[in-house]
Amino acid sequence: MRPEPVAIVAAGVVTPIGGDLDAFWTGLLTGASGISTIERFPVGDLRVQRGGEIKKLPSGGESARRCRASRLLCAAADDLRARAPLAATRARIGVVVGTALGGVEALEDAVGGERSLRAAAAGLYDSPAHTLAGHLGARGPVLTVSTACASGASALGLAADLLRADRADLIVAGGYDGLCRFVMRGFDALRSLTRERIRPFDRRRSGLLLGEGAALVLMARDADVAGPRLGRLLGHASTSDATHVAAPDPSGRGLQHAIELALAQAGLDADAVEFVSAHGTGTPLNDRIETAVLKRVLGRRAAGVPVNSIKAGMGHTMGAAATLEAIMCLLAARHGAIPHTLGFESGDAECDLDYVPLRPRSARPRVSLSTSLGFGGCNAALVLEGVVA
Amino acid sequence: MTGVSLAGVGVITGWGRGVDAWPDDARRVAGDRAVVTAATPPLDGERFRRATRECLLGVAAVQATLDDAGISREAIAGTHTALLYVTAAAYGSSNRAFIAAGEPGSAGALHFPYTAPSAVPAEVTIEYGLRGTYVTLIGGATVTLEALAWAGRLLAEGACERALVLAVETFAECADLFARDRRLLSRPLTEAAACALLVLGARPIEIRAGDHVSDMTARVDRRVGETLACGPLLGLALARASGDDPWTVTGRWRGRTAALAEA
Repeated sequence: MRPEPVAIVAAGVVTPIGGDLDAFWTGLLTGASGISTIERFPVGDLRVQRGGEIKKLPSGGESARRCRASRLLCAAADDLRARAPLAATRARIGVVVGTALGGVEALEDAVGGERSLRAAAAGLYDSPAHTLAGHLGARGPVLTVSTACASGASALGLAADLLRADRADLIVAGGYDGLCRFVMRGFDALRSLTRERIRPFDRRRSGLLLGEGAALVLMARDADVAGPRLGRLLGHASTSDATHVAAPDPSGRGLQHAIELALAQAGLDADAVEFVSAHGTGTPLNDRIETAVLKRVLGRRAAGVPVNSIKAGMGHTMGAAATLEAIMCLLAARHGAIPHTLGFESGDAECDLDYVPLRPRSARPRVSLSTSLGFGGCNAALVLEGVVA
Repeated sequence: MTGVSLAGVGVITGWGRGVDAWPDDARRVAGDRAVVTAATPPLDGERFRRATRECLLGVAAVQATLDDAGISREAIAGTHTALLYVTAAAYGSSNRAFIAAGEPGSAGALHFPYTAPSAVPAEVTIEYGLRGTYVTLIGGATVTLEALAWAGRLLAEGACERALVLAVETFAECADLFARDRRLLSRPLTEAAACALLVLGARPIEIRAGDHVSDMTARVDRRVGETLACGPLLGLALARASGDDPWTVTGRWRGRTAALAEA
């Protein structure tokens, strides 16, 4: 039996290309770049010193005492609340957020000599989620998902499951991650970062840059939503590669399985997919694997289905990425435009799909597929339905 | 209503393997030890050369579960077994080591992926060939209860045929950080890895918000110490060993209390 769809009522974000949902969408359509030299922590000793750093965040009052990850989440939550009220009793409002890094920057501080209990406690990965719950007054379930860079998709899937199980009436779900020296050092050591621009699916693609941000959506059982909605989550799946701790399975078998499970849950076959928001990191391996998987899943339609990546303008925002991409899918349906893949000019023999080059595409995709991959062999897929006016 | 059945539970703690290794009073036996450290499982082989201690504990806990259930590793391989992993603290050890390594180049590229909490279940999936539903949740005992309830729903929906709920908690490397929180010092922090194998069965399980600690959970706390996310799984192990039927396990984390009960 097909599970009940879950409504995505509204969204709120903070990103390197825009501090709220409207600015984010405008930035995607205009090809804005949020990539700059990182200023908030030392990077002079790293090979790559750029990323999608958010230069300005609310800093007064309560914010001053919060770690950056929590400030990102609360900024996105404020944007969300400005667009939709949390109309439920507090005990029935849940929080489910995904993150690759949690409060690790606070752990850096705690290890580096900050002696307070607050620093040590904030270093736990689920601290920002509980800060967000406090900020929202949510007293229902509070869960943190960490499937690395697929976290923002897994969180939406878990939130949908909790709603269907009647564990809450409203859930604020999404993903976040802040740029910090810890993660910059890590990716620098892996040599995954490019010294050039990010070029997803392009023949000159040479790696990724990191970014930061937070993205939240308000979710409810579809039948409970009387007013307007941004769209629906029809299906989701999170699966494992079972091949390598850090590298994706070259066969893409796990990602394909996730897509197939998500489509099955949605009660759709691949012919229904009108648009794909790809993980599209701009690394040679990821983009090749995703392209091959999409060809297998979409079959003869593959060349005709637009596929984009929005990571070139913001960097890879890790835990926030998949939620930002899901929101983008729904905004594409609402506004009748698919943002182009910034940085893509021409593909190669292994990346030969329609990657929406050069400018936004006038189209109103009702059913979208969003794919994500992460360390630990994590794969996630979301099947989304936009509201087409 | 479709229910679940507990097919096996594997437990490793700082006191040793299995329920029988637990003392009657962890606080008394721990003496002045703030952390009761679990021995690193002796897993050999090239593939485990870089795996962290928490990864090895996770793999060993799954094997202990299979042993308890009396099934082979081949039986769980493939896309029909879900793995839900929970931890509140285990990644801290690896993260701290990476932070302490300091400057670029001094911490190898191969260490960084092991700072992700998903490294632990990743090693488990690779070892046992698990390619089904796969999620890592962060938090303490209430989150493990959510994972168990979710596993039950996955089974009921036919999203999997078997579900492993695994938790690993290591503390030794970050003991000084945990020592800042007086709430964690009322009993020893006991390292643990525990796993439950759920399959379809006759009895539904239900999670609900709660306001008290069950007798089962109180017994685990007294005998083992503080194990954060592992607590509910240790409760299931004790219920299985004691023949408690039906069982109720509870958990607390960050001011929230929940209960999971078998109907």
